[in-house]
Amino acid sequence: MSFTLRFGPVFEAWRELAAGVWLTLQLSASAMLIGLLVAVVCAWAKVFGPRWSGWIVNVYVEVIRNTPFLVQIFFIFFGLPAAGIRLSPDVAALAALVVNVGAYATEIIRAGIQSIHTGQIEAGLALGLRPVQVFRLVIIKPALRAVYPALTSQFILLMLSSSVVSAISADDLTSVANNIQSRTFTSFEVYIVVTLIYLVLSLAFAGAFRAIDRRVFSYPVAR
Amino acid sequence: MTRFPSRRALAGLALSAALAVGLSARPAAAQTVDEIKKKGVLNVGMLVDFPPFGITSLDGKPDGFDADIAKELAKSLGVRANIVPVTGPNRIPYLLTGQVDVLVASLAVTPERAKQVAFSDPYAGIRIVVYGKVGAAVKEPADLKKFAVGVARASTQDVSLSAIAPEGTNIRRFDDDASAVQALLSGQVDVIGAATPVVGEIEKIAPKGAFDTKITLREQVHGIALRPGQDDLMKAVNAFVAQQAASGALNTTFRKWLNTDLPELKKPAI
Repeated sequence: MSFTLRFGPVFEAWRELAAGVWLTLQLSASAMLIGLLVAVVCAWAKVFGPRWSGWIVNVYVEVIRNTPFLVQIFFIFFGLPAAGIRLSPDVAALAALVVNVGAYATEIIRAGIQSIHTGQIEAGLALGLRPVQVFRLVIIKPALRAVYPALTSQFILLMLSSSVVSAISADDLTSVANNIQSRTFTSFEVYIVVTLIYLVLSLAFAGAFRAIDRRVFSYPVAR
Repeated sequence: MTRFPSRRALAGLALSAALAVGLSARPAAAQTVDEIKKKGVLNVGMLVDFPPFGITSLDGKPDGFDADIAKELAKSLGVRANIVPVTGPNRIPYLLTGQVDVLVASLAVTPERAKQVAFSDPYAGIRIVVYGKVGAAVKEPADLKKFAVGVARASTQDVSLSAIAPEGTNIRRFDDDASAVQALLSGQVDVIGAATPVVGEIEKIAPKGAFDTKITLREQVHGIALRPGQDDLMKAVNAFVAQQAASGALNTTFRKWLNTDLPELKKPAI
């Protein structure tokens, strides 16, 4: 069977593709930021918080890490309305991504925090820093630095798994691709283009993460 | 001393691996009746999320009207039916890339699709309607603008809805009918575009008087889809459909699953 690639209909739909890229970018970047905050708070609760808070975080992390993302997003979009919480597709998608990446990042950051030597924390306290300052300057910054590669690859994974949000009719890049291919029957061509776009997005995020790494974490450490 | 393979040998290895993958990825697509008989199996693409045409039975096997037809079709060719579950958006790619030999996938005969696939004579038919909350006043297509409208992406419902809905209508596209129905039931959308059999299924589970049918979008017939150029197989499929219709078996199967007689099936001019 001969097969001719037709890219025309795909490029004609560039406006839709651009809108899809924009939503994917917005969802991913927001979910990374909010998810990071969630994870730092949860990791704090797990390591330094009272015992009950550690338990709550454990339940959250284990439930999220041991269930499929698709099920989580269905639960938020289709299940929560039964409890009177009706979220639009975009908000439900963001909520699901934050909840999901928050759980994975919690464990990564916990590992980072536990890699900080007790002596370093005691040194911070001995210097007269307040506990909040100790957490911010002596614990979390070096902790994030230690787990930075693991954290950023988790974030890129988040960007890629955001393709699942098309299942609840959020119009991200994958959803747009599905719409285009169903209209024009150019499935192979659309997915080639979209795969390349995802690749470029991943590389762009990786580049941004390296830039942040150089700016924020480029202080010397004694070994 | 361990000798490592040279860079050239490695490159050759990578190339041959790539070639092997490329070759094995070429599906064993049967083009003719003889090839199918030789294989002894007919690969049939079928929806499993479109009750009662395509469902998954309690023991996890594809079932429904389409499954019965697929099995009868294979029997008429003297081979076994291997039913491959497909989804609305990927069924035509499955056929065109040779993953399946034919589609008995509730595929409505439309001019757009006829450019991509070859359709047999129709073997079933249904109506596509706008269906939703009783409170949602949809008397004509222009009213759709006031509501969130759910639909299965790339389905005939999608095409007919998109054609008549006014510019700027909030059409939410889901991956399948099940999700669109779920969106209606959980109140995420006000109305959906759905086929009459799906409406029948919703009425079985929804609270009485919560939803009703608004307007008819189109009436459609389903055809068995083949790749263009499978002329010999097409003849066999059409003969099968004609025989089933003449003997009354087609109507019996339709009644078994839909509790109603088969509507008049006329292949549209495409």
